[in-house]
Amino acid sequence: MNTYDMVKQEFIKKWITTLHMCDSSVEQPMNVTERKNAIRLSSDIAMAATRSGATIWSRALISRTGKNKATCKPVAHRILKKARNRMKKRCTTITRNGGAKMRVRKRTELLKSLVPGGELIDNKDYLIRETLDYIVYLRAQVDVMRTVAALDSVTNK
Amino acid sequence: MSNRRSRQSSSSPRISDDQMIDLVSKLRLLLPEINERRRSDKVSASKVLQETCNYIRKLHREVDNLSDRLSQLLDSVDEDSQEAAVIRSLLM
Repeated sequence: MNTYDMVKQEFIKKWITTLHMCDSSVEQPMNVTERKNAIRLSSDIAMAATRSGATIWSRALISRTGKNKATCKPVAHRILKKARNRMKKRCTTITRNGGAKMRVRKRTELLKSLVPGGELIDNKDYLIRETLDYIVYLRAQVDVMRTVAALDSVTNK
Repeated sequence: MSNRRSRQSSSSPRISDDQMIDLVSKLRLLLPEINERRRSDKVSASKVLQETCNYIRKLHREVDNLSDRLSQLLDSVDEDSQEAAVIRSLLM
């Protein structure tokens, strides 16, 4: 089993946990929109929890989802309590891009807005590293959810 | 992994060629859609950034769509425990 398979396995374990936690903390029955939000939320938290506190994007994602939905905040904290503050913000120096081209700068800003916590990162080296890391886990999230959706449409009559 | 540490990056405000080459080679592994023709060592930084942004946006949309689909397909969240076991056995 390669590393990517292990990532997906870890993600699905966390996702099952977060789904149950979200499920137990909201009143039943949920309408379709509420359920969609719960699924999305639990999936995002699970993805971030799979990475735990080792990256900026994962911590930013937890913090962001924690703010949006009060019910899943205890979920997020429970999962991350062991990874608390494992990593301080390493991106320190503010780099002034006097010589950089406008297009690179604009697209870098766009990238920062897409990667959770990206707006906190001034160091380009670090931004690239976070981006690559984030993409791997994002793909794992999509792959697993796709598999579950395919499975679900087969088993549900 | 590159030997450069973040401490030195304050002297190079732009994305350096080394970093771009590193990024492109990693992205090529992750994104089969990117077909950068290697005319020279220089790759268009803005193009790579644009492709990366497009890709991330695409993945975000997919997660959103899949959340939609899953919420419609699931009869009740309780069934997760059964399906969880099935999923686990499928993915192992």
